[in-house]
Amino acid sequence: MKRNRQWISVTSVIVLLLAIAALAACSAEPETIFEQVEVEVTRLVEGETVTLIETRVVEVAQEILVTPTAEPGRSALIVALASAPTSLDPADHRDRNSETVLRNMFDGLVTRDTGSGVHLELAEEMNWVDDTTLEVKIREGVTFHNGEALTAEDVVFTFERIINENAIEYPEPHTSPRKGLIAPLESVEMVDDYTVRMHFTGVWPPAMQLLVHQQIVPKDYLEEVGTEGFIAHPIGTGPFKFVEGQLDDQIVMERFDDYWGGAPDLEPADLACVERVIFRVIPEASTRAAALLAGEVDIIQNVPSELVDTLDQTPGVDVKTAASTEPIWLQLNVSDPLFEDVNVRHALNYAVDKDLLIEAIYGGRAVPLPGPLSPFNNYVNEDLEPYPYDPDMALALLEEAGWTDSDGNGILDRNGQPFAFTIDTIELWRPQAEALASMFREIGIDAGVRFWEYSVVQPQLLACERQAFLDDWGDSAFDPVGHFEAKWHSVVAGEPYGRGNFSCYSNERVDELIRAGEVEADEATRQEIYDEAQQLVYDDAPAVFLVLPEVAEGSSERVQNWEPASDGRINLHDVCLAP
Amino acid sequence: MRAVKIIERVLYAVPIMLGVAIIVFVFIRMTPGDPVDIMMGQGGAISAGEIEQLRSEFHLDEPITTQLWYFLRDAFQGDLGYSYTQKRPVTELVSSRLPATIELAGGALFLALVIAFPIGIISAVRQNSLLDRLSMGVSFVGISMPGFWLGIVLILIFSVSLGWLPVQGRIGSDISLQHITGFYLIDSVLTRNWPALVSALRHLALPSFTLAASVAAIVARVLRSSMLEVLRSDFVQLARAKGAPEGRVIVKHALRNALIPTVTVVGLQVGVLLGGNMIVETVFGWPGLGRLVVDAIFNRDFPLIQGAVMVYALTFVLANLAVDVLYTYLNPKITL
Repeated sequence: MKRNRQWISVTSVIVLLLAIAALAACSAEPETIFEQVEVEVTRLVEGETVTLIETRVVEVAQEILVTPTAEPGRSALIVALASAPTSLDPADHRDRNSETVLRNMFDGLVTRDTGSGVHLELAEEMNWVDDTTLEVKIREGVTFHNGEALTAEDVVFTFERIINENAIEYPEPHTSPRKGLIAPLESVEMVDDYTVRMHFTGVWPPAMQLLVHQQIVPKDYLEEVGTEGFIAHPIGTGPFKFVEGQLDDQIVMERFDDYWGGAPDLEPADLACVERVIFRVIPEASTRAAALLAGEVDIIQNVPSELVDTLDQTPGVDVKTAASTEPIWLQLNVSDPLFEDVNVRHALNYAVDKDLLIEAIYGGRAVPLPGPLSPFNNYVNEDLEPYPYDPDMALALLEEAGWTDSDGNGILDRNGQPFAFTIDTIELWRPQAEALASMFREIGIDAGVRFWEYSVVQPQLLACERQAFLDDWGDSAFDPVGHFEAKWHSVVAGEPYGRGNFSCYSNERVDELIRAGEVEADEATRQEIYDEAQQLVYDDAPAVFLVLPEVAEGSSERVQNWEPASDGRINLHDVCLAP
Repeated sequence: MRAVKIIERVLYAVPIMLGVAIIVFVFIRMTPGDPVDIMMGQGGAISAGEIEQLRSEFHLDEPITTQLWYFLRDAFQGDLGYSYTQKRPVTELVSSRLPATIELAGGALFLALVIAFPIGIISAVRQNSLLDRLSMGVSFVGISMPGFWLGIVLILIFSVSLGWLPVQGRIGSDISLQHITGFYLIDSVLTRNWPALVSALRHLALPSFTLAASVAAIVARVLRSSMLEVLRSDFVQLARAKGAPEGRVIVKHALRNALIPTVTVVGLQVGVLLGGNMIVETVFGWPGLGRLVVDAIFNRDFPLIQGAVMVYALTFVLANLAVDVLYTYLNPKITL
């Protein structure tokens, strides 16, 4: 009896131990464990840069950090993406990560560097024949991955496939979701084998910045295999060619040995350095970080701010940052009785300590917004300064608007009503929202925070049903059109104008300027237009202008010659992998 | 006779699935959020009319009854529509992810049973012993532990610190495997690709253990309590009085009778395994159905949500059927 019982328990334990041992036997040796160290950091304190010795708070995760060591024998460069690309057809997505992956297999007429500079790529020359006609000379000697030469026919085909109705036939005929990114393009005409003319409906100043986002596909191949065949095996002219893969698992590419070299402005223009690259999708940020630490991947996208320091201090791991293109605002509903008075909106701008926000939440990796545009926008108004942190000024302005603490309870009131409102936001911005609420409470405003799913709150915002909404708005074009049209133009039903205007803000002069800026060809005049528009929005303060965070990406030390790009793309053409 | 009954039960599933299809169809469209708005994102400009055009392309501008009619008409022909965001047929997307999810759920179920059965049986046989108290304590922790937390902790210990097991994915990046069934374990055995089998098993270990933890804990507790009940019953006493060896009493008399409630719980846990997949697949970067559904929900990709939920519903129905069939084997007095 007893023996039987023992037999059951002993057998089960042995089975489990054997299973664990079998799996463990196939693995690498355990890595060295590193200890916590004191670090020297440069901090911005009251406008001055000082060097401090800081002892970091010991975290459990950090105690078991190891030097990342790639799997032995791995020559492929592996990038961990935060979200899955949605298509391998450059004309059939509306998604940054799709472009991140596709840009390594496809080239455009122009490309962008890691900042805002636009450079010729497949276009050898581009000239405006008149205000609405762009003549493009296509580079000769470029071949697609199947060996076919790139000609003007492919360029015409590419753009017609994007702008023509129902030009994409699979799985059902539909129009390219990228058409809107190049909306003013009316037609494309082939002049000769290596020249095309693009005809626009009007003057379109951001043309170059937005052409970056369209990649050239091979006409003959696509016509032969159809869209279904093309997404199964995409072919471009880029530095890497497609090998195999699934969108939300991994996409494997190999170096294209007949690559023409890439944009001549972006040295070194040559074949890609690594032989094989793999894009893997790891949606969870801590798993991405763990995969980098374990040496399973070489570059990780979107390091969350709370992990930046941890990774940065780990030997063998670099965290690199670049200014992002996604400013964050607290948008105030100007139609709400609470925020009707411009003094109140100014007061809230003065009540926020942006430097503290940047230090505490972003670890210094963000810059304050000088107004309605990112400070790195090509048309930023250089005269605007971020609203300074001045709680006394905020209180004075609130008093002017009738808000005082008449009953001495620490909360401002007016006509017996306390100054209370809710900051609506999405979970992503929890720390920022809570920090703002506490800053507002410091000057006697009873601010709370409520979290939403974006798609649920968005219709309520457009219907002016919420009071204050904290969110970012991305636009990688470095041109004011995208942000101004969406955020600061009055809402126009059925049109793109004001589609992100969650402040219910409407200023006729600003609207006029936005419309004028969209079709102004002269750069100086355009700058004047946007300077005035930014000044007006700054003065009207339909939002608390907060910060522009940096994008942080992590890489192992083996990765050489790689810098994150502001527009978030990961271009691996020049990146090398040390042995 | 049993076969006829099984076919009859399978046919009952048809009205259930139709009901599920209609409820899901109506509910996801009642959820706030517009798929076209989400699809347009933030950056860049959109052209006037583009949103209306997309809405009409997806039939979102038509009354919900018309949309439902289109859906049912196509669904009966095996066409579940195509994903708004990925622009590929839903059936293709779902069937390409399903093997990964089944492999993970299967691995988890296997591990859960391997862990739960010895613990449940030993705890019942040695009730109130130290081992019993310890294993019930551990199983309590197992039930309470959230999957995402356990997953991250296991990654930190076994992958980052010890370097024994991989952090994420289904197979090593340096392994090439010919895809036949989509089940990596089966494919690697079929092609006799042993390095791929080892790699797939190692990748399966942590996510399936994470998923198995709570299931194992629940099954162990249920098995223990039903074993205790059976062990106290008269026929067990009789078997012992007859002088039957204790092992035989436990396995043949007690365990078999204690299995009926346990099988019910395991059947229900199959649903939990699929539901829990969404979190575990996200944590371990496992390219299965759960992750596809999470993305589809956030993107309000109606056809894709619909297709995936139908698969979940079908799994529940089939798991229940399997449980009922198993009953008849465990206790011949039960009929379908």
